[in-house]
Amino acid sequence: MKMFLLLAIEATVDASEAAETAGEGGFGLNFNILETNLINLAIVIGLLIYFGRGFLGKMLVERRTTIAAAIQDAEKRRKDAVSALAMQQQKLAQAQAEAERIKATAEKNAEVARDAVLSQAAQDIQRLRDAAAQDTTSDQERAIADLRRQVTALALQRVESQLASRLNDSVQQQLVDRSIALIGD
Amino acid sequence: MDTLHLLDTFNLLPFAELEVGHHLYWHLGNLKVHGQVFITSWFVIAVLILASLAATRSIQRIPTGMQNLMEYALEFIRDLARTQIGEKEYRAWVPFVGTLLLFIFLSNWSGALIPWRIIKLPEGELAAPTSDINTTVAFALLTSLAYFYAGFKKKGLGYFGNYVQPEPIMLPFKIIEDFTKPLSLSFRLFGNILADELVVAVLVLLVPLFVPLPVMVLGLFTSAIQALIFATLASAYIGEAMEDHGHEGEGHEEHS
Repeated sequence: MKMFLLLAIEATVDASEAAETAGEGGFGLNFNILETNLINLAIVIGLLIYFGRGFLGKMLVERRTTIAAAIQDAEKRRKDAVSALAMQQQKLAQAQAEAERIKATAEKNAEVARDAVLSQAAQDIQRLRDAAAQDTTSDQERAIADLRRQVTALALQRVESQLASRLNDSVQQQLVDRSIALIGD
Repeated sequence: MDTLHLLDTFNLLPFAELEVGHHLYWHLGNLKVHGQVFITSWFVIAVLILASLAATRSIQRIPTGMQNLMEYALEFIRDLARTQIGEKEYRAWVPFVGTLLLFIFLSNWSGALIPWRIIKLPEGELAAPTSDINTTVAFALLTSLAYFYAGFKKKGLGYFGNYVQPEPIMLPFKIIEDFTKPLSLSFRLFGNILADELVVAVLVLLVPLFVPLPVMVLGLFTSAIQALIFATLASAYIGEAMEDHGHEGEGHEEHS
């Protein structure tokens, strides 16, 4: 205890001396190691740096690696997305080309079909027309044939009626004779 | 007999060395300001500015060194503000809360770590700015202004509705709270830091070597905690002022 007191007194005496040397109204420096608590402060700062460096350093390194990993991950995902985009774009281009091709084929097919349909239609028309024309001629012919048959029938009827009135034995004889004479020639 | 002698010796010791209330006065017009507080505050401000400059000088995608450290601090502050103020409004208050936290933290630690006594002032002595009541009162009043501003900005005159929430009987307490908040904020910080420095100083005076070490380490701890408490309470008050009616009762009293 005495020792401490002595130290304390010494310290205060030193301090007052320092104050005097520093002057009453001015700034100054005090290098009294005990009074300025330099040793303790140095120990505390040393402890702080020793433990704090490890703790803080570890934390900061951890944070750094986390961030780096996150950035790397994000970049990887970005790259993946870019490549996926490129692939999909390629696919899109392919699909578009395919669509173009299909469209062209379809147009060609449509053209062909159109021509075919048109020619078919023209043929049909022609055929229908021909058939119609044929129909009309056959109708005409049938009508003419009918007329002929009718006329023939009428003529035969008339002949038969006249034949009955005009025909007698002498005439018949004459006819037969003429026929025989014809045969005789 | 021996004890009497001891007492005499103690009386001989000029305890005035530790006297609180000796200040280095600077005269600014009609004002008398405490110069030692300004000097240490400038030091703390300079450290903060230099740290910010060092952190932002060459910003990299993957932070290293100082940038990493300051980003960590910023994240810490942001999380603090977010938990206290809420996801929706916290963003605008990060600078305020961060300034309080960083400045108080650095002030406290500068008082606990830097051998200010090497520099001899004409009067008074250099110490943590937060061990001067003026500094802490300034912070506390700024906090009061901040939470009033936050409340009025968010709700207009409807802010006064807070005073009758959840029960109108709360009105007098709420009004008293407006005065006790800055009072408790400022006195808690001031008291803790000044007491810490005084304890260390007295121990150093009595036993210069090694014995003050535990108290100094404890002082570092309490200093950091005090900065955290001040910032947390400030953001809690701000958050409380902006709180929507209806879901009251979130714990915001965590005095130490």
